[in-house]
Amino acid sequence: MELAHPVTEVPTIQARPRMALIVLVAVVASALLGILVGAVDLSIGSVLAELADRVPGVEVDSGLSERESAILWQIRIPRVVLAGLVGGMLAMAGAAFQGVFRNPLADPYLLGVAAGAGLGATLAIAYLPDQAGGIVSPLPLAAFAGAVLGVAITYILGRSATRSRSTATLILAGVAVAAFLTATQTFIQQQNTDTFREVFAWILGALGTVGWQEVVLILPYVVVSGAALILHRRLLDVMAVGDEEAESLGVPSTRVRLAVVAAATLGTAAAVAVSGLIGFVGIIVPHAIRLVLGSSYRLILPLSLGFGAAFLILADLIARSVLSPAEIPIGVVTAFFGAPFFLFVLSRARKA
Amino acid sequence: MRRISLILAISTLTACGATEGDRGAAPVTGETAATSSSVIAEFPVTVSAANGEVTVEQAPQRIVSLAPTATEVLFAIGAGDQVAAVDEFSTYPVGAPITDLSGFEPNVEAVAAYEPDLVVVSDDLNDVVSGLQTVGIPVVHLPSAIDLDDTYSQIEVLGAITGNLGDAAELVSSMQTEIEELAGSMSVPTEPLTYYHELDSSLFTVTSATFIGQIYQLAGLGNIADQAGGAETGYPQLSAEYIVQADPDLIFLADTKCCGESADTIAARPGWDQLTAVTAERVVELDDDIASRWGPRVVDLLETIVGAVEQVEAP
Amino acid sequence: MRDLRLSDVSVAYNGRKVIDGVDISVPALSWVALIGPNGAGKSTLLKAVTGLVDHTGTIEIGGRDSAGMSRRLLSQMVAFLPQRPVLPEGMTVAEYVAIGRTPYIPHWGTESVEDRDVVVRVLTRLGLDDLGLREIDTLSGGETQRVVLARALAQESQILLLDEPTSALDVGHQQQVLELIDELRLEQGLTVLAAVHDLTLAGQFADRLVLLDHGEVVSDGSAEEVLTEARIERHYGARVRVLAGDDGTGRPSVLPVRAPAGRKRVVVGDSSQEQPG
Repeated sequence: MELAHPVTEVPTIQARPRMALIVLVAVVASALLGILVGAVDLSIGSVLAELADRVPGVEVDSGLSERESAILWQIRIPRVVLAGLVGGMLAMAGAAFQGVFRNPLADPYLLGVAAGAGLGATLAIAYLPDQAGGIVSPLPLAAFAGAVLGVAITYILGRSATRSRSTATLILAGVAVAAFLTATQTFIQQQNTDTFREVFAWILGALGTVGWQEVVLILPYVVVSGAALILHRRLLDVMAVGDEEAESLGVPSTRVRLAVVAAATLGTAAAVAVSGLIGFVGIIVPHAIRLVLGSSYRLILPLSLGFGAAFLILADLIARSVLSPAEIPIGVVTAFFGAPFFLFVLSRARKA
Repeated sequence: MRRISLILAISTLTACGATEGDRGAAPVTGETAATSSSVIAEFPVTVSAANGEVTVEQAPQRIVSLAPTATEVLFAIGAGDQVAAVDEFSTYPVGAPITDLSGFEPNVEAVAAYEPDLVVVSDDLNDVVSGLQTVGIPVVHLPSAIDLDDTYSQIEVLGAITGNLGDAAELVSSMQTEIEELAGSMSVPTEPLTYYHELDSSLFTVTSATFIGQIYQLAGLGNIADQAGGAETGYPQLSAEYIVQADPDLIFLADTKCCGESADTIAARPGWDQLTAVTAERVVELDDDIASRWGPRVVDLLETIVGAVEQVEAP
Repeated sequence: MRDLRLSDVSVAYNGRKVIDGVDISVPALSWVALIGPNGAGKSTLLKAVTGLVDHTGTIEIGGRDSAGMSRRLLSQMVAFLPQRPVLPEGMTVAEYVAIGRTPYIPHWGTESVEDRDVVVRVLTRLGLDDLGLREIDTLSGGETQRVVLARALAQESQILLLDEPTSALDVGHQQQVLELIDELRLEQGLTVLAAVHDLTLAGQFADRLVLLDHGEVVSDGSAEEVLTEARIERHYGARVRVLAGDDGTGRPSVLPVRAPAGRKRVVVGDSSQEQPG
């Protein structure tokens, strides 16, 4: 078989090995940095030795005390892993939404995910406050359920969109649903003013965790959601020509949109359930990749996973180091990156 | 608020019998020799706190306190030199090793950096209790006391777990005595006096059901907020009209430090200059900290209250 | 070889019939042009054949009823060029043409080497080799039209539906595109059904014309038969002169003509008269 013409090189990760390497390095480097930084001083050597010791067949004495080791394995590493999972998931979901709504500024919270999760969390905080000691805390469950319900209601309301093939109706339904859910949330907060602080803290997002239970909780969702989205990456490129033309090419547009939204929502709801509403990751990361590497979702989706993970790990690092021992809510850090990023995008758009 | 049920189990002591000197309910004052020898024999000790049973193998030498009340107690029972760090709001006693650790947004790793062998908290926020347990640091959760007995129990818990049970028992005893004296010293008024206790500038107050409300009750005072809407939360918010209508005999301000309130500032509020307490100069400016903690200084608080009551009755 | 046959086809939007009982036959390898005023239903008809709107009646493709076909199969048999194709920002010409291979790529799969060969062939045939890596939103009108045509050709279907392929082009490019389509039709054995804006061009390139008005076929036949001044005036409301094709092609030319000053044109029954205005 002769080599295909270079012009028709398929924009996949396999075709861009250098890019894949860069992503891998970014993730590993940021993870290592995240693990090394913290209130307790752990030297690079002992951390690496400790990590190496976990490799089957390798026996190394890291010289860390039991408490230091516990800090490493129960506080630092799970937090970095969680940040990576949440960041990668939000970025991928953002890319998927951008593809399926043909709008480079769409984010995963578009269809009522954020408002639904916020309402669920507020209900849990207001009416089930003493359950934190239980094996299954109601807060993540409530947030997850709220997120999924929010999107479901949006879809039912925007159902005419499934016939008219207009995404505008769906998005408007999402706006309406979000407004209603947010109003309900505010009402409940007013009835329970002692919840204000806790709800606000949750909304701003936090990755504080001890132990691995949150990682274990969201891992299956991220895996399933991520796999489903990656499978749809070529279809997202086809959807770029519009619902009608895509259908004329044999693609069932509304079904594809539903599948992609469902998969992205599942993963986003899980992320939001454990970490609150961390904004801007879902917009900045995929959009930045698009600016550098072009609009093909076959590159943007998998790269969003990697760069999203690295981005949030680094943002979390900043969140917990700048005012140590206090922590800046991570949503504030990502917003700090977000505003200048948007200005940058606007200025480029104006020049184009 | 959760109730602490206090069960002191001093295992080795009961095993060794009663040869260790007087260990009754009322310890002998001044027998420091007995105290120091009993330090060695008291450990390992298990106490019961809001986070369950906590066992400490030896007398802790690097205690971290994230609770201002606990800090006051620790220093009052002679455990001060066993304290390595206290949170940013542990302002009393002066000289405590204050840091920027937070009791409201506790950071497990930051606490661990001080290498504590015991941590005391009054709130379990950010899963700090389970977090500390996960990294193997003993932690005792002593939430806000709901009454004076709670306070005494907490003092005894801290005494047991730091190896200062003798001093703790002494402190409890002296507190009880002083409080009895203060309460008893007051003459029974013909008509009970009423009071309003202000928590902040937006007129949040306490009811008699709260800890501090009970302190006021010891002084024979009636709370104007007990009938207010929202009283069942213990911390209702009143309106200016309500307060003017109730016209309390005494006003206590617990927002002098946080919010800069004083007798002058409240007199400047529209309509407030009509209040009896304002015109008769019966507005008492409290120290916010003393009014919000449940440690040894409640005695000082009661003293201030009793003093104010006596001023009223002695025209 | 594929022929297309519409039998008593109707399309309704919100209860209103946009296409009403239309019978059209497009023999294999022929070029049938759909003409008619705006709103006549030309686009709708093409979309019905493509399967984008529901219809009653029967649409047969190569003798098979399209109603039973999967969307994928239909897209392998019929390629549709919309009037205003979406040109995604940042997409290169090659990527855009490759999208034409979608009907052949497994739902979750990627292009095969054969797919990429087809794209190369199509790009070469349409003279787009040098533009392969250009972004499609940077091209001129004529280049864009060729790229869109390339995508349709990449679909390797034998029926080509075109919705006003020349409406955005200047006269020179209009001719170029139509000639290109004609060449491809003969080269690759395509059947063409195109909605055409310009009546003269329609007449010059199509084997047959179908005049659609208010969703109904009002005339169906050769260019000479369909393009009469009266008919054009009645359905387009335009005053024209039709010149017989005496330049050797045998196809008529349609010239818009303006009423002399002071005279108003009035349509009375089947004929028109000039009256002092």
